[in-house]
Amino acid sequence: MNSALSRRLAFAGLFIAVTVAMLIPSEGDVRVAPETRQLYEWIDSIPPGSQVIVSFDHEASALPEIRPLALALLRHCFERDLVPIGVSLLAEGTGIGFALMDQTADEYDKTYGEDYAFLGFKPQFIAAILSMGESIPATYPEDYLGTPIDSLPAMVGVTTYDDVVGVLSIADGSMTTHWVEYGEARFGVPIAGAVTAAMITSYDPYLASGQMVALMGGLRGAAEYEQLIGIGGGGSRGLLAQSVSHLYVLAMIIIGNLLWWRARRRKGKESV
Amino acid sequence: MLVPLTAWIEPDRLPILIAAIIATAIVLYTTYHRRSRDRYRMRPIQGLQAVEDAIGRATEMARPLLFTPGWGGDIQRPTTIAALNILSHVAEKTSRYDCRLLFPTHDPVIMSVAQEVGREAYIRTGHSDRFQADDFAYVSSSQFGYAAAVEGMIARENPASVFLLGTFEAESLILAEVGNASGAIQIAGTDSTIQLAFFIVACDYTLIGEELFAASAYLSQDPAILASVRAQDIMKVLIVIAILTLLIIASTVGWPLESLSAP
Amino acid sequence: MRRKLPQIIVAAVGLIMFLVYFSGHPTAQRVNQTILVDYWQIIFAFTLIVGVIGFARSNLQQIQRGDGRFFRIVSLVGLVSMPILALIGGINAGSPFVWMFDHVQAPMQATVFALLAFFVASAALRGFRARSVPAAILLLAATITLLARSDVGGATIAWLPETAEWIRAHPSMAARRAILIGIGLGSLTTSLRILIGIERTWLGSER
Repeated sequence: MNSALSRRLAFAGLFIAVTVAMLIPSEGDVRVAPETRQLYEWIDSIPPGSQVIVSFDHEASALPEIRPLALALLRHCFERDLVPIGVSLLAEGTGIGFALMDQTADEYDKTYGEDYAFLGFKPQFIAAILSMGESIPATYPEDYLGTPIDSLPAMVGVTTYDDVVGVLSIADGSMTTHWVEYGEARFGVPIAGAVTAAMITSYDPYLASGQMVALMGGLRGAAEYEQLIGIGGGGSRGLLAQSVSHLYVLAMIIIGNLLWWRARRRKGKESV
Repeated sequence: MLVPLTAWIEPDRLPILIAAIIATAIVLYTTYHRRSRDRYRMRPIQGLQAVEDAIGRATEMARPLLFTPGWGGDIQRPTTIAALNILSHVAEKTSRYDCRLLFPTHDPVIMSVAQEVGREAYIRTGHSDRFQADDFAYVSSSQFGYAAAVEGMIARENPASVFLLGTFEAESLILAEVGNASGAIQIAGTDSTIQLAFFIVACDYTLIGEELFAASAYLSQDPAILASVRAQDIMKVLIVIAILTLLIIASTVGWPLESLSAP
Repeated sequence: MRRKLPQIIVAAVGLIMFLVYFSGHPTAQRVNQTILVDYWQIIFAFTLIVGVIGFARSNLQQIQRGDGRFFRIVSLVGLVSMPILALIGGINAGSPFVWMFDHVQAPMQATVFALLAFFVASAALRGFRARSVPAAILLLAATITLLARSDVGGATIAWLPETAEWIRAHPSMAARRAILIGIGLGSLTTSLRILIGIERTWLGSER
């Protein structure tokens, strides 16, 4: 089989497998990974009324994976009566972040400005992180809607990272690393991450060294978190499709190896 | 009036400062110490040995060569600078062989610096007339906008060789697979540990982490730069000794650096 | 002078940034704030102008040459139309700008991101071979991890998730840390080479 044809067949097979899996309702419990439980317990241990920075560090492309993660975390925050302060280090995360906070706040009857706030986007992420460490009001004199932040009850007493319990970075790339390298390393603010599945292992060393307090990733992480907070969502729904795609990749590896062994044996016989 | 030292130096960062001073001293000593500078030779790095073949292939096939530094880095990242050092070497060769060099990037500053690096290389070889500034192009700051642009460029221009050197994120496999499907010889290198796995599977040669930084020493054979790579090895040995020493102490008398432990 | 002046600026600013990192003194913090936050933001704004001009010029030149004319016209239309929409209707929810972002840009980007899944499948089919004993071990580790991360494996075979977590927490992390240490040292020496001026390629042309 030539490589172009086998590539196309592999693509078509994946498309069919994932589409079928998306149509089948997913049921049953998932096993909660220790790191997801760690994140849940960290948020659960924060006293009600405390402010926490939620940073939407992603673009629109990863939304199908990011959205369930963000919704599960925000729901938990609002359920615990925490005060999330939204920011974004990437321009595209701004509108998405605001919409997600707005949606979850509505579910819990929370009022903008009192129970949560959204400060918006600052360009140059490293500069933004460092600047917030010096002064959050100086970095964001106004919120996303143009209201001076000193008039927002949700922002009362928040001047630097010392005044928030931590930063929850929802990211599709390496942006959480910058929070660790500059926010944690320089200002000692606790960092937790909710990242796409492809990125999760790159944060393992930070989690193991204690530079991150907690971490969860991908649709699986979202499904696990949804189970912990007892509210279903996109994570649980997408989990079957993700599982099928994992198994499909495994099947590709096996088929690829079988084809390779067969070709090698044939070559060996011909040379004899 | 004398100000106490503690007012100027944060005690928490003192260990990092000491480590940084030791590292700097080692680099400066190996770089400027005349006798040591002349002695060093680098082990062959397969990926860099293949650079010449990749350029030769593009020239023979009369097809362009594509070099891109990934979406994850900006100009202040050492990885980007390391990639630009390799670009300089590649541009020198393409100028000699009159082979078209495409350099798409996601960052306007990288574009400007790459244009300067490319122009300098073309001037060095006396072929400044062959230099095409608009082939060093800023395509999009958005990750997948950039990925789509480079992917489209590979599909349309059909480069004979693709260099994926720099900081890459999720776009790595998209670019590497499209390059592979087009039949290009691919040399990749990155400091993103997670993307290395993708590059190893999809590319012909992969520079793993520090090999990318050693490339300018390898390609230029400049004694001063070679000596700084030697400093890197000395530091590596010191780190291994420190790890082993602490391991022995920790397993016999307990962990001595409680304040540095993970919680 | 064209290369000396940037070199002097790099060495001076690099040294200042190195020193202020270790200091908690208010003066050092102010210097840090000024350079990293204020100057950086100003420089960033100018780089955007460089980007837009460079993008427009490059595309216009290639349109003239007849290279990929259609794609380049689409790019330029996108470049011009989004700021115009923002100027006319603002960038708040419900504006044409946001509509374009939500209904054009976001789906296009998600589509390119989704390609990754297909490329993982084709790379798995083509590139992941048990050519040697280490490659076979790697293959086994990948199989365990994939099975454990899928619902099927996690639900049916009890030891799989623990084994996958062990692989991730020990051999995988050990290798990752070793590579990260190498990268850290490589970054350090490259930075020092730039600061002391023995690495000058990035400065470009003298003329």
